[in-house]
Amino acid sequence: MTAQGRIVWVSGPAVRADGMADAKMYETVTVGNSKLVGEVIRLTGDVAFIQVYESTSGLKPGEPVVGTGNPLSVLLGPGIIGQLYDGIQRPLKELSKASGSFIGRGITTTPVDMVKTYHFVPTASNGDEVLPGNVIGTVQETDLIEHSIMVPPNHPGGKISNLVSEGDYNLETELATVEKDGQNVPLKMYHKWPVRKPRPYNTRYDATVPLLTGQRVIDTFFPIAKGGTGSIPGAFGTGKTVTLHQIAKWANSQVVVYIGCGERGNEMTEVLVEFPHLKDPRSGKPLMDRTVLVANTSNMPVAAREASIYTGVTIAEYYRDMGKDVVLVADSTSRWAEALREMSGRLEEMPAEEGYPSYLASRLAEFYERAGRVRAAGSPDRDGSVTLIGAVSPSGGDFTEPVTTHTMRFIKTFWALDAKLAYSRHYPSINWMNSYSGYLGDIAKWWGENISEDWFGIRNEAYGILQREDTLKEIVKLLGPDALPDEEKLILEIARMVKIGLLQQNSFDDVDTYCSPEKQFKLLKLVVDFYKLGQQSLKEGAPLASIRELPVVTSLLKARMDIKDDEMPKLDQLETDMKEQFKNISGVKVKN
Amino acid sequence: MTNSSLEKTIDKILDQTEHDILSNLDGAVSDSHQILDNSVTKLEDEYDKIVADGRKEADKLEKQIIGGSDIEARNKQLLALEDAVSRVFTKALDQISNSDRNGDYANLIKSLLDESTKVLGTSEVIVFTNSKDRDVVQSALSNFAGSELSSETIDCIGGVKIQSKDGAMKFDNTIDAKIDRLKPLIRKEIASKFGVKE
Amino acid sequence: MTTEGGVQYSKIAEIKGPLVVVDDVDNAAFDELVEVETNEGERRLGKVLEVGNGKAIVQVFEGTTGLSISGTNAKFVGKVMEMPVSKEVLGRVFDGLGRPKDGLPDPIADKFIDINGEPMNPEQREYPKDFIQTGVSVIDGLITLVRGQKLPIFSGSGMSHNLLAAQIARQASVVGTNDDFAVVFAAIGVQYSEAEYFRKSLEESGALKRSVLFLNTADDPAIERIITPRVALTVAEYLAFELGMHVLVILTDMTNYAEALREISAAREEVPGRKGYPGYLYTDLSTLYERAGKLNGRKGSVTQVPILSMPSDDITHPIPDLTGYITEGQVVVGRDLFRQGVYPPINILMSLSRLMKDGIGEGSTREDHAEVANQVYDAYSRAQEVRALAGIVGKAGLTEIDLKYMDVGDVFEKEFLSQATDENRTIDETLAILWKIVSKLPKNEITKIKDKYVDQYYQGE
Repeated sequence: MTAQGRIVWVSGPAVRADGMADAKMYETVTVGNSKLVGEVIRLTGDVAFIQVYESTSGLKPGEPVVGTGNPLSVLLGPGIIGQLYDGIQRPLKELSKASGSFIGRGITTTPVDMVKTYHFVPTASNGDEVLPGNVIGTVQETDLIEHSIMVPPNHPGGKISNLVSEGDYNLETELATVEKDGQNVPLKMYHKWPVRKPRPYNTRYDATVPLLTGQRVIDTFFPIAKGGTGSIPGAFGTGKTVTLHQIAKWANSQVVVYIGCGERGNEMTEVLVEFPHLKDPRSGKPLMDRTVLVANTSNMPVAAREASIYTGVTIAEYYRDMGKDVVLVADSTSRWAEALREMSGRLEEMPAEEGYPSYLASRLAEFYERAGRVRAAGSPDRDGSVTLIGAVSPSGGDFTEPVTTHTMRFIKTFWALDAKLAYSRHYPSINWMNSYSGYLGDIAKWWGENISEDWFGIRNEAYGILQREDTLKEIVKLLGPDALPDEEKLILEIARMVKIGLLQQNSFDDVDTYCSPEKQFKLLKLVVDFYKLGQQSLKEGAPLASIRELPVVTSLLKARMDIKDDEMPKLDQLETDMKEQFKNISGVKVKN
Repeated sequence: MTNSSLEKTIDKILDQTEHDILSNLDGAVSDSHQILDNSVTKLEDEYDKIVADGRKEADKLEKQIIGGSDIEARNKQLLALEDAVSRVFTKALDQISNSDRNGDYANLIKSLLDESTKVLGTSEVIVFTNSKDRDVVQSALSNFAGSELSSETIDCIGGVKIQSKDGAMKFDNTIDAKIDRLKPLIRKEIASKFGVKE
Repeated sequence: MTTEGGVQYSKIAEIKGPLVVVDDVDNAAFDELVEVETNEGERRLGKVLEVGNGKAIVQVFEGTTGLSISGTNAKFVGKVMEMPVSKEVLGRVFDGLGRPKDGLPDPIADKFIDINGEPMNPEQREYPKDFIQTGVSVIDGLITLVRGQKLPIFSGSGMSHNLLAAQIARQASVVGTNDDFAVVFAAIGVQYSEAEYFRKSLEESGALKRSVLFLNTADDPAIERIITPRVALTVAEYLAFELGMHVLVILTDMTNYAEALREISAAREEVPGRKGYPGYLYTDLSTLYERAGKLNGRKGSVTQVPILSMPSDDITHPIPDLTGYITEGQVVVGRDLFRQGVYPPINILMSLSRLMKDGIGEGSTREDHAEVANQVYDAYSRAQEVRALAGIVGKAGLTEIDLKYMDVGDVFEKEFLSQATDENRTIDETLAILWKIVSKLPKNEITKIKDKYVDQYYQGE
């Protein structure tokens, strides 16, 4: 029995309707004569409070509201990769076919092309007993994505019959029938899943494998693990979006879900224009072949912005269930929180800090809890992960505001962007003193096994130099640099090299934009070696100025741009040059 | 401006009037048509003069003044055009207001009342009209139970204004109000006859 | 909205601030245009903010002064507010609600367009990448503006932002195309003299005929300011996307807009966000700023330069803060430079153009542009540090290289930044000065420019 009511009140995206006694919480409804999409968010007597995902301009009391009986869901199946969706999984390309350059209202479309055929290769056989989550076959979704067709998690499972043979089928084809207790349930290439309900999995693992992003300040200094959580807060102009784009481009995951939540329209356009031309550094295929975009820009209806986060994370979990590593980037969770605040205000709920609803913290916790590295449900065994990275846009750049402080409670990696660094054009403007990573210890093993046993020690030495510099800077501010002995001035010099040669990274430079873990380690080691050689030279009486003016300094600082990932021997040459030059100033014997 | 284009202008206004403004006013319209047609020659001279003056002025200014002069000339043209448009308007309204209150007109009043009471959701209303239309309105009111004609008259070309008895709701369904709503569209039509290109 | 409206309701329940609450309303729509008629027969415009249970809350643009509970009528017009548009709006002056203010008749409309606009489909946007030459070195060289960008000027009271905006409006040109260019100027609660300055500036340069002005000055009704940028942008979109023109929209001063919004929010007794501004200020501002852009398959573009004065020069104030999160960069006017008499007094370190990277380089400006700009940013930032240090240890305590950076700072401000209000520099002139600055540094300090460009353009020893 679906609810059929009438609008009694309209205020922006919030609508009340009476005669809705049959409506369920979080049920989707159509609102008004133009059939706008909405969702029930509160029930009081027979009055339903509805958030409407489209502009309510022109809506009148008295117009009908009709329930659909279903919660807000996404359609999961091949065809999702490469799409640009709005907050409720409507493909924006299809919307433009219906309403042109601007987004019209009341348009219904399917999230993927239901009649496109895919080449299905069965992996199950007739007579097999299947459980929810079992893979019954695969299709090649894009060049990069082999898409597993799974028994939906909410499916009863049972015995397979009528399984189709290998061949081309579309999404509506019944691939098999599953029989249980005399009931036959068909299986298709797709199923639907309610966005607010996390998809089940078998077991959860610790996050111990780093997600490599090719960004030195992240991978080397403040790493994130696959299945981990991270947050990137920063005032405007600090380069949040550029950093997030960098992660979306270069992270070594199989799928990237990028959510533009209440942000600029041109940023989504930029991704759309750029990604098809960028090649995945590992496979050489276009990045768009592994990317899904969800865009609810700032000027699109605010309620759909609230939904966009859930739409994105549900898609991410779906690919995780196929055994893939998925990175989800949400820019920005602050705009999502503001959408919550706006709806809460219209419902006249009692506000907590800065007008945000009291359930802000629990909603954030629920979201970040959907990250994780897991063994998926069903067979065969598949391990996948969802890494969640959320941007935060603190008002006035103030990290004590509610969204930042609550987010910090639920994430393990914190990349604090710093307006001062941005003003001095230090990009990415991740502040090395305020940022942290809770995964450092867990992922050190991976670096030790795959790159170098010395990684952890050298990384900590370099970080130690930055910490020393931070203290020394205070002294310099008060007394001037001459108050420091040469050994400490050397630390300032090395810190400058770490900052310019390692921490800074030019995402618009063809070479510097991505840095392999091998090159990251080598650059790091070169700077730390330089420090050791410098200390030794000073001890042996070489003047600081002669160290500072070594030609190798400029080469070291430019190496990140001048030397490509596949030119590692050039870095070895640099090392040789460096030792040679030190020898010349102090006659120091260099150990190998 | 040629004779025929002027005739088209008038036709167009009246087309508008027929289709958009007063679909029930056939009788009155044909009357006005007649009268308007009679005054075509006179009006034509007036338009020609106004437009020609404007254009001449524009041409002159364009040549005399540099810089912002073209904008000034354009503005003069706009004024001249507006003047012409309003003359056509006044003329057309005059014809309508002087037309006979015959059987068709009674039908028009009836439909205006019908529409108004539907919009207000009640026929318990007080009806206002001008002195000329009182009789026609009074006889139409028998179809609307609970309605009554106000002793006050209002100043309008024709049609009715109604008001709920508690005074909380009003609806203006005079011909003036209807034309007012459509005025921007009619202006565009008239203007296009004067050679204003988009 | 298609329903025929027009019913007048006279049961006024409440009048507070800019709001009128009408009772016993049974046929009104959210967002609908309302004509409020006073006792004296004066008509004011408003719109429905909230409707239901027989009540409609109406926001009156021209204010509620003089309205009374009895005798006031509200007529629900049956449509949202629309702006009549045609090519003839060029060269015209309108008030803050889009009504003629120049003594000329209403424009004969080609179309009537909902002033709220509709969100551009991101899939249909064309990524902005065409360089606009403003002839102002600091903008063209370091904070490059591109067609379809929204780049605000953050300023403070009394500073020279209007001079700069007017100079941009006069000089802006799109190199390498014959497409039509237009300026839409919206004055939002600014002093009459400022609005007049703009008008004159456009007139004297002969640009008035390609301009449309919307003027809500300080003595005009405050709530009208909610509408002014919307009618202006509606006209801009029409000129750009229907007539194929490149439209530069200047909105000044957005702080007055946000204050009008706050006034309405307070009257509705909404839970305030920071500094009493409504929680939806970000979303509301975005519905204006996001109307900048380019569209696939259409010739024109809408470029926005909103101007806002930061209360107490505080960039973390909600208005500049939320604006900065939406716009594609910001041009920050610096109080210190202004005091020193520098024009334009732009603090480049706090300024940024996000779209610059795509609008410059080979084929639009020059291949070395990005790198030389980066180096100058870096050098000027170092110069500022050195100046601060010199304040502690004195000039004598500085190293030789520090002194070179001091020199860079001076040359930058005197020769590059400073410019006359009628001086229109080409991009080549601008780049030449940038290289002159970089050439003050020894080669080994140049870490951001590829060697091949250094070899080609560096003029130092």
